[in-house]
This record gives sequence, C-alpha cells and structure tokens, in this order.
Amino acid sequence: MAAAAASNAASPPAIAKMELRGVSKTFHARGGETRALEPCDLAIAKGEFVTVVGPSGCGKSTLMMIAAGLEAPSAGEILVDGRPAGPAGPSRTVVFQRFALFPSETVAENIAFGLRVARTERAEIERRVAEQLALMGLERFAGAYPHELSGGMQQRVAIARALAVRPDILLMDEPFGALDAQTRTVLQEEVSRLQRELHYTVLFITHSVEEAVYLSDRVVVMSRGPGRIKREIAVPRDARWRGLEIEAAGNDASFLAAKREIWELIRDEIVRQ
Amino acid sequence: MSATAAVVRSDVRSARANAARRPVAYGAAALATLVAVWWLATAIPGLVPTRVLPSPVDVVVRFGALIAEPFSGATLFGHALVSLQRWSIGVLAAIGLGVPLGIALAWLPPLRAVVTPAFELLRYIPPFAWVPIAVLWFGATTTTQAAIVFIAAFPACIINTQLAVSQVDSILVRAARTLGAGAATTLRRVVLPVAAPTVFTGLRIAFGNGWMALVGAELIVGKQGLGFLISQGQINDSAATILVGMTTIGVLGALIDVVLQRLQRVALPWRPASAKPLE
Repeated sequence: MAAAAASNAASPPAIAKMELRGVSKTFHARGGETRALEPCDLAIAKGEFVTVVGPSGCGKSTLMMIAAGLEAPSAGEILVDGRPAGPAGPSRTVVFQRFALFPSETVAENIAFGLRVARTERAEIERRVAEQLALMGLERFAGAYPHELSGGMQQRVAIARALAVRPDILLMDEPFGALDAQTRTVLQEEVSRLQRELHYTVLFITHSVEEAVYLSDRVVVMSRGPGRIKREIAVPRDARWRGLEIEAAGNDASFLAAKREIWELIRDEIVRQ
Repeated sequence: MSATAAVVRSDVRSARANAARRPVAYGAAALATLVAVWWLATAIPGLVPTRVLPSPVDVVVRFGALIAEPFSGATLFGHALVSLQRWSIGVLAAIGLGVPLGIALAWLPPLRAVVTPAFELLRYIPPFAWVPIAVLWFGATTTTQAAIVFIAAFPACIINTQLAVSQVDSILVRAARTLGAGAATTLRRVVLPVAAPTVFTGLRIAFGNGWMALVGAELIVGKQGLGFLISQGQINDSAATILVGMTTIGVLGALIDVVLQRLQRVALPWRPASAKPLE
C-alpha cells in the first residue's frame, strides 16, 4: 500500500539519513475526519539542512511531530539510516519554539539530560557539556537556571541540549519564532556558522522565507488544505552570500531570486484560500 | 556634589530599610493594641467579669502554671506533644497516600473516571462527621484522632497534586521523551519538580485543615491534647486555661506554616518566586 504511493519529490539522495515515506495524517474529531497531511515523501541526506516553509495550517508542524516520533502517522513510515525509526528518542532530538527547558535544572543539567538518561560515563558527560557550552557561548551560564536567562540564551541551551546527545538528525520547530528580531538575527547567523563548520543533519521548520534561504541547502514549500509538499528548491552551498551576515546576504541578487521564487509559491497558497 | 549624592543615597537606603521594617512594626503595634484593650477591659472594675475574660496577666500566670505542673493528666507541653504526634501521623498518612494518588489520577484517565465520583461524594462529609464512626472503629485512641486529621488533610493533598501534575506543560514531557527519558525519569526529573510549588500549596492547606480538625476532634473525644485541655478548662470554669490553650493552638498552627514555607524555599531554589520574593 505505502509502496504504491507515487514519489513526487525530487530524486532522493543516494544515502538518506532520514526519510519520510508516504507519511500522511488524518485527525478524527467529533465524528468527522480532517485530512491534515496528504502522503508526503521527504529524504534528508547526511549533513544536509532542509527547511520546510508554508502558510500557517499547511501541516508543517504535524510533519515535524511525526518526524520526531511524537505523533504517529496515519500511514507511511519514517526511516533513519534506512531502518524504521521507532518511537521518539535521542536519535531525533527536537528544538521547540517555546524552548521547553526543564525549569528545575541548571543550564549544565539541562544540557546533560539526555546523556544522563543514556547512562553515559560521568567524564564523558562533563566533556560533552563543556563542549556544548563553548559552542553556544554559554560558559558563564552553566550554573544558571532557565528563568534567569533571556529568551535567546534559553534557546541556545535548548540547541545545546539537543546536540549533546549527538542525534542522527536535529529537528527544529520554528526555533526562533518566539525571539525578538535582533536576537533572532544573531542566532540565525550562529546556526549558519555552526552548520558550515560541523554539517549537522537538520530538518528545520519556519514561516520566514528569508530564514529558510539563509540557513538551508534545500527548501521544501508546502501547500495547505490539506497539507502536501508543493515544491523543493535547492539553495547552492557555494552561493556567493554564504558566510555573510544576514543583512548583507539579503542584498545579494541570487539570494533575492531564491527568496522571491519561494515567496511566490507561498503567496499563491495564501491568495488561493 | 558627590558628597550630597552620597547623603541622598544613604537617605534612600535607610528609607528603604525603614519601609521593609514597617509592616512588621505595624503588625506588632496592632497586637500590642489588642492586648492593651483586652487589659483595659479587664482592669476597669465591673466592666467585664474575670470569670468571663481573665486579664492578660492572669493568662500569663496560668501559662506558667500549666508549663510547670500537670493539668488534666499532662503539662501544657505534654498536651501539645500529644496533639502534634496525632497530627503528624494523620498528615503524613494524607501526604503518603494523597500525593501518589494525585499523580496517578493526573496521569491515568481511566483511574480518574473510577475514583472521582466516590471521592467527590466523600469529601463533602466534614471531618467531624467521621468522629462517631471513627470512635466505633478505633475507640478513643490515637488512631481515631489521626484518622480525623487524615480525613481533613487528604483532599487538599490529592486535589492539589492532581491539579499540579496535570498543569505541567506537555511540551516538557515531549522534550524529555525526545531526549530518551522513560516515564519514571520524566516524572522524577521533569514533572514532579515543576508540579512541586502547587503541591506545596496543597500541603500548606492540608497541614492547616488537619490541625484545625484535630483540635475539634480532641474537644469531642480523648483524654489528652490541646483540644482536650481547653474542654477541661471549660469544665473547671477556668477561662484562663481556655485562653492559654487557644493561644498555644494558634501559635503552633502558625509555626507549622512558617516551617513549611521555609522548607519550600530550601527545597525549590530554582523557583523565580523564591529567588525574588514578592513581599
């Protein structure tokens, strides 16, 4: 059945780190059925940064929750390294829009959470926490509690916590949506820098087209009513503007062209409703 | 210039210190006024008979006497210890059963469906209505008194715990799951710490309810305890004894609450509210 679903995606890379195959979702509520997600196919290669954009209500968050294993698909399957991914777990960690830090634990304890759950050796935990603190510029806040930090700092902790367990894929659900504009810009530039150095495998969700272009190797545009994947647009890794600040990159002709192309696709969706 | 500024600053600082001291001073002044009015009422001859209202001095003297020598089977400390013991047993049982059950009710909807109707019916039976049946079951024993404390304290434990656990943001539970945590770890490291402040509020209510119900129960049944002491004061026509007993009950109740609030501050250092007290 699932195998019969025709692939409408661009040809998947040779080795997909994560693959969504014919994943769909139907909600049952008060006797009625709501189709939230048409069958979707999406493959993400190792070291690839893929962003899903779309108008609100297009099912991109549902897609993310299914990818994380936090929600079961109505049909289809999720593969990691070609094998069924199973329930939610540290192979696919999530950075949530609302940070979701554990308020009773310090920054260092939050970052160590997944490692302690996995019974990692104490010395190794300390080493990895120190590594993440340095990576995210959080050294001074190791002993602070989440409520003592600004939103931007809290989201850095959440990213560090998700990366500390060395997941196969990092899932980011509108991670900068709750931040003020300046903080958002700083974090976008930092994630971009980390990605160019360390090549994480990332599935990122946003409604900001600019953010999608700036961070991604590939942008997946979704349409709504019900949600489905409409188009995939590759953003060359060697584009001239890579490594520039977001302000400067935004003035580049190729950046603007990619942004315009994606925006047209989304605008069609909004106008169509 | 800078000297002036320094003076202004120190003025500001001492003004702030005064402002912080002021509520305490007001409270003390109000208490002193109350005692003064009380004393005046008893000091003016013929206004209030001392049989009805003894003077503060009589009460202090009686307090000393009750500490020094037994009355109705025990000294004041003896009666207070008996009451505190009964209260501790009842309250600990209420916490030991109510908190785990509250957690279970919040996490297991089927259990909620089974337990809630019976619980809702039972909790509108006042603690004192249980005294006769408790005496029939357990006799005039510590068990009876502790059972009344338990009945008075249990609802606040279970209701607040259930509320606290069900109010924990589900996104935290999801985050714990994606980091590999199972149900037990999630409960211990995420849900319970976040729920703790509301649980503590429930415990404060439970402690107070238990204490008040105990004294009531001791008025009805028993041979020792602070409630028994004041009922003996009535039988012996000693208003001073009654007032000593009442004051001790009030002060001990307030002390229990202070201790619990301190405990909460120590136990939950990460709370914004305890880091920066609102008062």
